[in-house]
Amino acid sequence: MDFKVNLMIMSGVKDGALLEMQTENGDGQIKNDRWSISIGRKDENDVCLRNDTFVSRQHANLHWKDRRWWLEDCDSTNGTFIENETNYFDDQPVKGIIPLEIGQLFRVGRTWMRIQAIG
Amino acid sequence: MANISLKHILINAQQESYKMRHFYLGAEHLFVGLLTVQGGIASSLLQEHGLTPEYVIDSIRRKIGKGSHHRLWAGIPNTPRADVMLDIAREIALESGRNEIDERDLLTAILEEGENIPVRVLMALGIEDIPAFVKQIYEKEHVTTDTETPFVEVELSPQLEQDEDITKEQLFIIRRMFFSYPKIRIERRLMGGYSEAVLFVITPLHGDGRQDASVVVKLDSTASILDETRRYESFVKRTLPPMTARLEDRPVAPDNMTIAGIKYTLIAGSDRIPQDLRAVLTDWQPAELGSWLRNELFPSFGRIWWRQSRPYRFQAWQEYDWLLPPVLTLEYNGVKKLPEEGFTLKFPVKRQKLNAIEYGDVVAVNNFTVYKVYPERGAIQLAVGSGSDAAHAYKIEVRNLNFEQDTYYRGEVIDQIIGTVWQTRNQQLMHAVRALEPDFNHEADKIPFSTRVGIEKLPNPLKVYEELLDSYVNGSLSTIHGDLHLGNIMIGPNNSAFLIDFAHSRDGHTIFDWCSLEISLLRDVIMPVAGSTWDDAREVLEHIVPLNRGEIPDNEEASIAFALSSVAQVRKIVEECLYREGQWSEYYVALALCCLRAMTWENMPIGARRLMFMVASLIIYELQTSYTLTDDDDTASPDATDISTNF
Repeated sequence: MDFKVNLMIMSGVKDGALLEMQTENGDGQIKNDRWSISIGRKDENDVCLRNDTFVSRQHANLHWKDRRWWLEDCDSTNGTFIENETNYFDDQPVKGIIPLEIGQLFRVGRTWMRIQAIG
Repeated sequence: MANISLKHILINAQQESYKMRHFYLGAEHLFVGLLTVQGGIASSLLQEHGLTPEYVIDSIRRKIGKGSHHRLWAGIPNTPRADVMLDIAREIALESGRNEIDERDLLTAILEEGENIPVRVLMALGIEDIPAFVKQIYEKEHVTTDTETPFVEVELSPQLEQDEDITKEQLFIIRRMFFSYPKIRIERRLMGGYSEAVLFVITPLHGDGRQDASVVVKLDSTASILDETRRYESFVKRTLPPMTARLEDRPVAPDNMTIAGIKYTLIAGSDRIPQDLRAVLTDWQPAELGSWLRNELFPSFGRIWWRQSRPYRFQAWQEYDWLLPPVLTLEYNGVKKLPEEGFTLKFPVKRQKLNAIEYGDVVAVNNFTVYKVYPERGAIQLAVGSGSDAAHAYKIEVRNLNFEQDTYYRGEVIDQIIGTVWQTRNQQLMHAVRALEPDFNHEADKIPFSTRVGIEKLPNPLKVYEELLDSYVNGSLSTIHGDLHLGNIMIGPNNSAFLIDFAHSRDGHTIFDWCSLEISLLRDVIMPVAGSTWDDAREVLEHIVPLNRGEIPDNEEASIAFALSSVAQVRKIVEECLYREGQWSEYYVALALCCLRAMTWENMPIGARRLMFMVASLIIYELQTSYTLTDDDDTASPDATDISTNF
């Protein structure tokens, strides 16, 4: 099975950049019906945010499982966040693994990103 | 006035990028660039939508945060999104037959791109119809009203004319706030709290002499006013009873001023000028005041505020440390590298380590958040935690900063700042007590009290407050006012209760508001009856002893006990708010720390501060004799953010 997803950077120096991830190119890891994409500052990550010093070497993972996306924080120093519905200026930290909607913004260190809907 | 050129905007945008240590040019910098050009269209459009440019810029900065000191690339590259927006702007310019992009084109491009941070922030601030906003851009003429004073005739009530100085700046802001009225009357000044805020009751008048309902206007530093507006939006707006004071308008914060203003509209009743509780103290008996608090104020806000009562177990420092003077006051002297013998402070802070630090030591503070900025005295206050409402404990003040060179803004996380210790908290508390000219040895472990009630000695709060901070509290969490005192509780029509001043509203320890109110009563109701010497303070204490046992004071008019009947009613409210029935340690820990804080308020009368110190001693005595602190009995701590599922 081939998987494909586009991520868009929504802030910082790479704001607006589109990252294409697909299993064909060796992006991510498939294990137990789960496709996982790693995000961090180190080059080995599928999504490498080397321009954000607030990103940990291994910061967060995106998982595709049970036909939906999940976001996991890997005990990062500065945290992974989603937007807070009641207070836009006080982002909500992600603990453990949470479900993530396509198009929903999330923040890794200082970098906001989202999963793009593929048309 | 000609259209403003792109070049001009880019200069401002780059400056913003440098200031924020971003070192790239993105949508946010371009937008701030548009907002900071003199007489720009973006800022006057926003003002028409009730948003001040400062408020928007501050919100954008908060959302993005400041970059780190390390530059990872050369130059100031455009972000991919900025390139897209500049392309859109260029197309718009070409379509209109121009070769150069101007401010309207760029503003249109940013808004039409639609996904960038400025647009997201604008939407969060209430501008939801972006296409309608875009339409107005080309209809808008250049105006330079910003420095003009709208003509509003100001009448001062006789009472004000005699003894009040209203500064030119204050008048300017007030006129801006009422620009649509030909005339206003400033009725009176409200006795504020302990901040530098100024509160006025103002009645707007129409041309034909008709009056509109009086409103309360608060003037304070721009940062405080903007912060209060945000707190109102997050904690207060949705949780107010139907009839009470609201912030209907956006704050007025002119570019060139350090102060700003907001208006509390008292929705119900325009029949009389609103009064705060302090103003009626001479007319109301203490017991009457107490029962009004219990039967009017508590029920009308209780359902949505103090009765939310979600279980909350915490260490006292998490809620109360920030009330006390800064744990350290540092002097900044530009040192970039910590000497070998220096100290490093980072979260979690160990008290032992903190206590080892003395005057003159060099301390590096890592990853603390800017909690307050005082540009006028070149100082900032830092605290641990991040986000606007994270536990702002372990306050550290840094002085001697150069604001011409560096920008600091609330909520920013500072990687590292190094300074020399100028004062520790213990020293500052000692000074505060010394200033009260104690008639006892204030450095001893015990202080003398009274043989009449059989308690000869009380613990010295200065020696034990740290233990209190470390103790666990089984309490509850609710939306709280955060600064409840007689000066910001207003009496509406039919004696209904109104609250104003939401500068400290938040989700916090439910009981905190009642501690603040008890302190306010001790100061405004009890101290004036008792007198201001140390003996007077001890006499008040003798009457608080039975109160702590739940005994209602007797009714001899003008006596201390009579005055304390107001406090007795507050204790009844507390009784209903305690997480566990009868577990007064929850209240006592909070009250003792709040009293210790009030003792340091220099604008509080000396007699009241003496009383605060003594009440703190007595309350700690009660805690030590009747309760075990740090009991390890568990209450579940709420954790709203933990939404992990079984993955």
